[in-house]
Amino acid sequence: MRRLTRSPALRVSGRRLLTAIPVLWGVTALSFLVMNALPGDAASAILGLDATKAEIRAFSVKLHLNEPIWTRYWHWFAGVVTGNLGTSLSSPQSVASVLGARLPVTLELVIYAMIITLVVSIPVSILCARWPRGVIDRLSLVLSMGSISIAAPSLALLAVIVFAVKWAIFPAIGYVGLSQSLAGNLHTMTLPSIVLAVPLIGFYIRFLRADLLEQMQAEDYIVTARAKGVTEWRILIRHALRNSFIGLLTIVGLNLATLIGVTVIVESVFSLPGVGFELLDAISNRNIPVIEGIVLVFGIAVVLANLVTDLLYGALDPRIRHVRSRS
Amino acid sequence: MAATADAAAPDLQLRPSPLLEVSDLRVTFGTRLGSVHAVQGVNLTIEPRRTLALIGESGSGKTVSAQAIMGILPRTARVSGSIKFKGDEIVGRGERELRDYRGRCVAMVFQNPERSLNPTMRVGTQIAEAVGCHLPVSKQEAHDRAVELLRMVRLPAPERRFYEYPHQLSGGMRQRVVIAIALACDPAVLIADEATTALDVTTQAQIMELLLDLQQETGSALLMISHDLGLAASYAEEVIVMYAGKIVEQAPTKELFAGVRMPYTQALLDAIPRIEMEPHVLLPVVGGRPPDLAVIPPGCSFAPRCPRVQQDCQDTCPPLQQHEPGRWWACWHPLGKEPAQ
Amino acid sequence: MSVPAANVLTTASTVPPAEAAGSAPRARGWLRSAEITVPAGILVLLLFFCFIWPMIYPVPKPVGGALQTVNLPLFSPGHIFGTDDVGNDIMSRILYGGRVSFEVAAGVQAIGLAVGGLLGMASAYRGGWIDAVLMRILDVFLAFPSLVLAIAISDSLGPSEMHVIWALSAFSIPAFARIARAAALQLRDQPFVVAARLSGTRAWRIMLKHLVPNMAPQLLTFTMLGAGLTIILEGGLDFLGYGIPQPTASWGNMIATGQQFISVYPDLVLVPTVFLLLTCVCLNMMSDGLRARWGVR
Repeated sequence: MRRLTRSPALRVSGRRLLTAIPVLWGVTALSFLVMNALPGDAASAILGLDATKAEIRAFSVKLHLNEPIWTRYWHWFAGVVTGNLGTSLSSPQSVASVLGARLPVTLELVIYAMIITLVVSIPVSILCARWPRGVIDRLSLVLSMGSISIAAPSLALLAVIVFAVKWAIFPAIGYVGLSQSLAGNLHTMTLPSIVLAVPLIGFYIRFLRADLLEQMQAEDYIVTARAKGVTEWRILIRHALRNSFIGLLTIVGLNLATLIGVTVIVESVFSLPGVGFELLDAISNRNIPVIEGIVLVFGIAVVLANLVTDLLYGALDPRIRHVRSRS
Repeated sequence: MAATADAAAPDLQLRPSPLLEVSDLRVTFGTRLGSVHAVQGVNLTIEPRRTLALIGESGSGKTVSAQAIMGILPRTARVSGSIKFKGDEIVGRGERELRDYRGRCVAMVFQNPERSLNPTMRVGTQIAEAVGCHLPVSKQEAHDRAVELLRMVRLPAPERRFYEYPHQLSGGMRQRVVIAIALACDPAVLIADEATTALDVTTQAQIMELLLDLQQETGSALLMISHDLGLAASYAEEVIVMYAGKIVEQAPTKELFAGVRMPYTQALLDAIPRIEMEPHVLLPVVGGRPPDLAVIPPGCSFAPRCPRVQQDCQDTCPPLQQHEPGRWWACWHPLGKEPAQ
Repeated sequence: MSVPAANVLTTASTVPPAEAAGSAPRARGWLRSAEITVPAGILVLLLFFCFIWPMIYPVPKPVGGALQTVNLPLFSPGHIFGTDDVGNDIMSRILYGGRVSFEVAAGVQAIGLAVGGLLGMASAYRGGWIDAVLMRILDVFLAFPSLVLAIAISDSLGPSEMHVIWALSAFSIPAFARIARAAALQLRDQPFVVAARLSGTRAWRIMLKHLVPNMAPQLLTFTMLGAGLTIILEGGLDFLGYGIPQPTASWGNMIATGQQFISVYPDLVLVPTVFLLLTCVCLNMMSDGLRARWGVR
């Protein structure tokens, strides 16, 4: 109760949200700028090559494509602030409804992948740190080196060759919605999520193992715990892992931006109707409102993830928690 | 008859059986550049209720000896010789047996209170953990014992302190918590490894007083490890001076300060500033550096820095011998023992 | 490259004298340590085969294959890795595609190091509002999924190798700027830098003589890490059709082509995958090995 009334976390999140706003604005401005440098305009891209000049002109006027860039940006930006992301150029749907349909797929993919990553990498790194230079340690070091060095398309296609073509455990393409059937959904989402998770697993094992080992070999509080007579397992899990989580959290936050980039490839290989798939489509159609909407959502996701990371920091690291409550 | 026995016999009768007997302890670290002989044949005995000081500069092997006694040396260390606790051999014990011994038989207070507590755990939890890993207690009992320990180390408001994190405490308070952890299971021997070095002088005195008081209360033996001969002079009953992995002088505190024998001990003593000294006068420094422990010279390891060095010092290493009752030194040309000329 | 970097370390103020004294056995260890020499050797071999081998040996052309030699399997006579769906020799496409990967990696790292490294260092050293603004800009780039940005830039510039380099630099510049900024921030308040500043040394000279040598190990190891990442990203870009356009060979577009025939001719995907993986593993291992050697965290 007392903690709530003081709630430094609330104040911190407020401050973080304020600094996030210019970042988000920068993201939209940057992407608008880049999109407008694209050669070829949306009108000819959507209407096709045989459209007449008059048709293209009418289309452009209808969608304000003939207005100067800052006017359009201002229109769009004003819309965003009021919650209106505009209308897709290729279909009568609003950008918000396009995103509403696509976002759950990508979100599920990212969350599923993150769960797989943590479930695999944390126990493996503990085993590595328990017996450094042992069989598990050496093996996982080799595998993790491979997993961080493999390109996403290669990995996705290898997974397809092995699990879809050779053994036919999972389908190569296709998507079953979560609302349709949970089993069907997991059946279609597991392989893409594993593909998304593999490089992260390698990365996290390398980080966690190094961090745990460094603590176990160098930190005085580990020696204190040993001198108490605490078992090695307990030292690893209760003392060292706890401290490693702080560093791990930063990485999870930072990884989210890269992870979203990789979803584009994974969704493309497995034909999942997610945001990345839509993005590729929108880019080739010059469907600027949709691209803008997607970029905004990605930007918000990353900024929010960083915000949550910061707040969790406080929960995990008492030093930060108290420094903040004092300031 | 009385004449032959008087040196040892009264001693034997007065002294109870030793808690800890270390004989010919040798610790070697294998490194890429060769073996480093950190401890080269240390013998010492710790009796109940006694306070022993192990003195030496950094690299003299005092901390490594203490870590060997605790059984917390890193895996790269090779240990030989014998460490017996109440007659049971510690060297060569498995990890599981060592765990039962650590904390319960011998406990340790570390040098740096900034770093020897886990920053992400409540101090109470860290003490309760020490209680819980040796005694079959419930969570509540462990908590109560932890609060009691916090009270024992004289932390104000122990109930509240239990829930605080290390960073919320001052250095002295943190060191009290470390002491509470060490005392959690009533160890028979408490090792204080430079326990006051990182603290300011007033806190230093408070912590030393606390350690001695607690020693009185619990009846444990105290092995204090320090580079500070002055500290040893104030608090220890017996002083052991180490240099380059070997004991070079051992004597009861009073007798040692009445007349130092080993030139190295004298050099350490000279380096302590005294109130009666002229201001702005440079303190004498022990010239040179401690020897490389990877290469063992044939002679005395202090010879290169010793002001009294002679040819025999270079050739053969003086053994540590009992020259007077209770007084041991390893020197061919001890101070105060010049041959009459 | 190795020798000046080793000097960098011994001049660093943080190295205790004991370490400097042990430099003779360390110099020998340099050649002995397999974790650096093995990947370095493999990389040199790959570079040799990609850039020099086609000049001294009649390697078939990577484009314009004949219809009679379509889809030959692995280890066919004259085509050790077989041929692809239009009859091009895969071995040759691997070598020419490797050129693209290495050129893009080198270009992107060079731009990132030069622009991002300088920007980050100068901004950290100057501090104040310049630094604050740069931090915000970096935040914007970090909140931007790199691949998405790269796709957009590459698409707006049109498909070509140079444009891929520009597109991926949008990712490497902020990354280098961050690393350089963090390193420079740490160094800025070190006594030897403060001493130099107090004795009236000009800012550019302090940066050149004090900051750069001490940041070099960190930036160099990051360059290798970044090169691996760039090759992976470039593969992704090619794969999605926003990188090197067909018929020019690149590992990424070879994988993309192979995707269409994945159930019949998995070799089309496997061969470029193996080379991509090998190259990145070597770069990562070198980065790891050098970091361990130089004590870079």
